[in-house]
Amino acid sequence: MNPLDKPYAQLALAVLAVLVLPLFLKSGILATEILIFAMVVAACNLLLGYTGLLSFGQGIFFGIGTYAAGICLTRWQIPVPVVLASAAVLGAATATLVGWLSIRRQGVYFVMLTLAFSQLFYFVAYTFSGVTGGDNGLLGVPRPSVGGTALNAPWSYYTYVAVCFVAVFAILVMVTQSTFGRTLLAIRENEGRAAAIGFPTKLFKLEAFAISGAVTAFGGALHAMLIGVAPLSNIEYHTSELILIMTIIGGSSSLFGSVLGAGFYLLLADALSTVWPRWLLLLGLVLVTVALFLQRGLWGLVERGYDLVFRRERAPETPAEEH
Amino acid sequence: MTDIALQTRGLGVKYGNFHALAEVDLQIRRNSVHSIIGPNGACKTTLFHALTGRVRASSGRIELDGRDITDTSDDDRVRLGIARSFQVTSLFPNLALRENLRLAAQGRTPWQALAPWRRAEANAEALAIADEVIERLALAPVSNRLAGELSHGQQRRLEVGMAMAARPRVILLDEPTSGMGIDDIEAMKQLIRDLGRDHTVLFIEHNMGIVMNISDMVTVMRLGRKLVEGPPAQVRDDPEVQRAYLGNMITGDIA
Repeated sequence: MNPLDKPYAQLALAVLAVLVLPLFLKSGILATEILIFAMVVAACNLLLGYTGLLSFGQGIFFGIGTYAAGICLTRWQIPVPVVLASAAVLGAATATLVGWLSIRRQGVYFVMLTLAFSQLFYFVAYTFSGVTGGDNGLLGVPRPSVGGTALNAPWSYYTYVAVCFVAVFAILVMVTQSTFGRTLLAIRENEGRAAAIGFPTKLFKLEAFAISGAVTAFGGALHAMLIGVAPLSNIEYHTSELILIMTIIGGSSSLFGSVLGAGFYLLLADALSTVWPRWLLLLGLVLVTVALFLQRGLWGLVERGYDLVFRRERAPETPAEEH
Repeated sequence: MTDIALQTRGLGVKYGNFHALAEVDLQIRRNSVHSIIGPNGACKTTLFHALTGRVRASSGRIELDGRDITDTSDDDRVRLGIARSFQVTSLFPNLALRENLRLAAQGRTPWQALAPWRRAEANAEALAIADEVIERLALAPVSNRLAGELSHGQQRRLEVGMAMAARPRVILLDEPTSGMGIDDIEAMKQLIRDLGRDHTVLFIEHNMGIVMNISDMVTVMRLGRKLVEGPPAQVRDDPEVQRAYLGNMITGDIA
């Protein structure tokens, strides 16, 4: 195993990312957005990379979290920690429902089911505009306050999100290292065998969905507070697609790869959109490149680079003797 | 407790309109080595699928130690004490050999594994079982290699080990020697005979040398039905078996 894949190395890299972003970025908003998407993408990775489930439903959970924050904060002035916790619970519940229905089918049919749910939830949000604000979304979502002062300055809210991000990332590292996470890998590898040795595989998939949904909704709530709006676009199918693209660009074999994926996408989008209005076209080319030449994503590139620098002198492993 | 570990009565399996198995009555004695033989297409593997719960029985009943398990799911049956190996090797190819066995040992207590905060290494028992199986199968030198990188013989041994790691009462082995070299076959024969001491072994095999040597009981199947059953010598000399169904397939000598 590459030393960079070890759990503490992953966590150290995440902390490093939090510290490095303010040094290179002028916009605190963009930096915060990167951290929010980094945790959401890592949660998607739990399904795609660890369980082998390509879910188009991540936008649902993100949107649910956004609306939970929007409704709780604009109508009832509930304390932010409570709002974040209830967003996570609501996300887990929704993900359990969507997952429970979707994992009954496998492969393409599973993907189509999550896609269908994604559309369904979008139209529900669009239709019940009394609750969600419809096309306009919910305006005036306040920032959290610490010690009586609202975190209205971009970098002070960045700090708040950074603490949340490191905590969530640490939890996800723990999940993937646990006996649960290792069973997920087994299910991804060979579901039939996992069932044959006694694991109720559906229950494991469902739990992976619940955890992923909780983190995604948590991120959605943070996002609503970042931009001050709970927009309809957060529950759109496009958000699901965005999260999946970031996951694939980052590489699904490591959690930190997801942080790279989110950062890469958002920074590239930020840079390209000022250069050329049709920047999405260039992004398409990036995706094609990743799909053709970088199937392990940016993280695969990092691993290769590490091997090149630190392991060049090492002899290839000698095959163990057979007897 | 009765003397019968696993029993079926009138077991039938249908795939659509095709009757794969019909009216199979089996009685597997505790701590015996019981083999199933028969020409290709006799639906021996389907019988295993039905016994382990991968395929639902369409008629009849299955009892484990007198308890009706006909409607029990496959993972529940593992907890009740049935484990199997597959005819076509079915491992976790990108996980280490030891991890494959640890998972198989953990499969007996899967609810523990649902806790996302519990470390895999905390289950010392599963690790100990994995190491014990590695030792017994002489796979120690390759225990950290990925299962997909092992030689065919090693993979076949690991396949049997996956069933052993569940510590089952009844162990079902589906052609454990398929594709093995001569030396490996001899080792596998010893292993199956040994397994019969601690477990009840039911195995499908084409190698008559093994079947005739180590079985306590042989069941001959043909086209999804039981044809003849009895001790090896009796089955081997059964004129009906020889003439009509197996021809000169039975060549192995009783040592």
